[in-house]
Amino acid sequence: MDGKVIVVTSGKGGVGKTTVTASIGAALAIQGKRVAVVDMDIGLRNLDVVMGLENRIVFNVVDVVQKKCKLKQAAIKDRKIDNLFLIPASQSDDKSIIKPENMVWLCNKLRREYDFALLDCPAGIEQGFKNAIEAADEALVVCTPEVSSVRDADRVIGLLYAHSITPKLIVNRIVPKLVEKGDMLSHVDVVDVLSIDLVGLVEMDDAVVVSSNTGNPIVQQKDSKAGKAFNRIAMRLDGHPDLPVEDPMAHDSFWKKIGKKLGRKKQE
Amino acid sequence: MSFNALIRKLLNKPDNSRSVAKKRLQFALVYDKLEVKDDMLEDLQKDLVEVISRYFEIDRESLSLDIQRCEGSSALILNTPIVAAKHRKNNHEARAGA
Repeated sequence: MDGKVIVVTSGKGGVGKTTVTASIGAALAIQGKRVAVVDMDIGLRNLDVVMGLENRIVFNVVDVVQKKCKLKQAAIKDRKIDNLFLIPASQSDDKSIIKPENMVWLCNKLRREYDFALLDCPAGIEQGFKNAIEAADEALVVCTPEVSSVRDADRVIGLLYAHSITPKLIVNRIVPKLVEKGDMLSHVDVVDVLSIDLVGLVEMDDAVVVSSNTGNPIVQQKDSKAGKAFNRIAMRLDGHPDLPVEDPMAHDSFWKKIGKKLGRKKQE
Repeated sequence: MSFNALIRKLLNKPDNSRSVAKKRLQFALVYDKLEVKDDMLEDLQKDLVEVISRYFEIDRESLSLDIQRCEGSSALILNTPIVAAKHRKNNHEARAGA
């Protein structure tokens, strides 16, 4: 197999990298691809709990790199989705235990074994970040529509370009109502400032909180807006790059809103 | 422009927080990218003095090099008094001698 290694990164912490990694991984697997999601946040693992696999960890990515076990032994099969595997981070080591040359070896192994390997990059731009981007083929930069997050994204985008990777952007946790009110940056603003390709736009969705509480994939919840958005991102990554990015603002035009308000009043 | 933004403009209301955020962000990114190390400026100044000296006699002591940032853009400003212009012939000789 000649798979792709995609690093999911953001610079700033807490913008949803881990959820994005787990969700896109799940969506790709549901689409029939063989997928590995790899937690590169050595010392602070989280991807396992988001996916509800925290009780099944035996080996981790550090064991694989140190050749204490085989890649297949460290790969935990998802509970619900076939073809989806988690390679967890180690909780006791330091990020510097993995060297860039280890990553070249690991990514080659992942390419041979899987169609897609998604690397969940730690926050920051230090060693852990450098390791994660070292041998990646592509990069997804996640940011929320906040000044601090977009600024950090810009820094990370610069570092990725310097590493000959052209990243794509995911704008996460957008609140259409706030954007319309003029109290939140829109995805157009963010793309305008960062000037890179947008590959996904994910609305703020309470269902994401619920799904991470329970460890169930958001992409399997049919009525979730975020779940749908992640499914569409996965399609774009897997052979449908021209699938349009849906604009949540576009649904509610001025007249539609008036109609809605009138409708609501009638119900009252 | 959305309907809300249009109304806002017509009523001449102050900027909303979205446009404030965008402006602040654009400024921040310009500043971030212009973080120039002091030794780089010094090296640049040396090189510039060398080049300008081929054409003009300048007062090296009172030369100043600075980066100025103003709205949306930034400028490299070099200020130097010229003592005299060198003749092109001399200039070639100076180069050959160098």
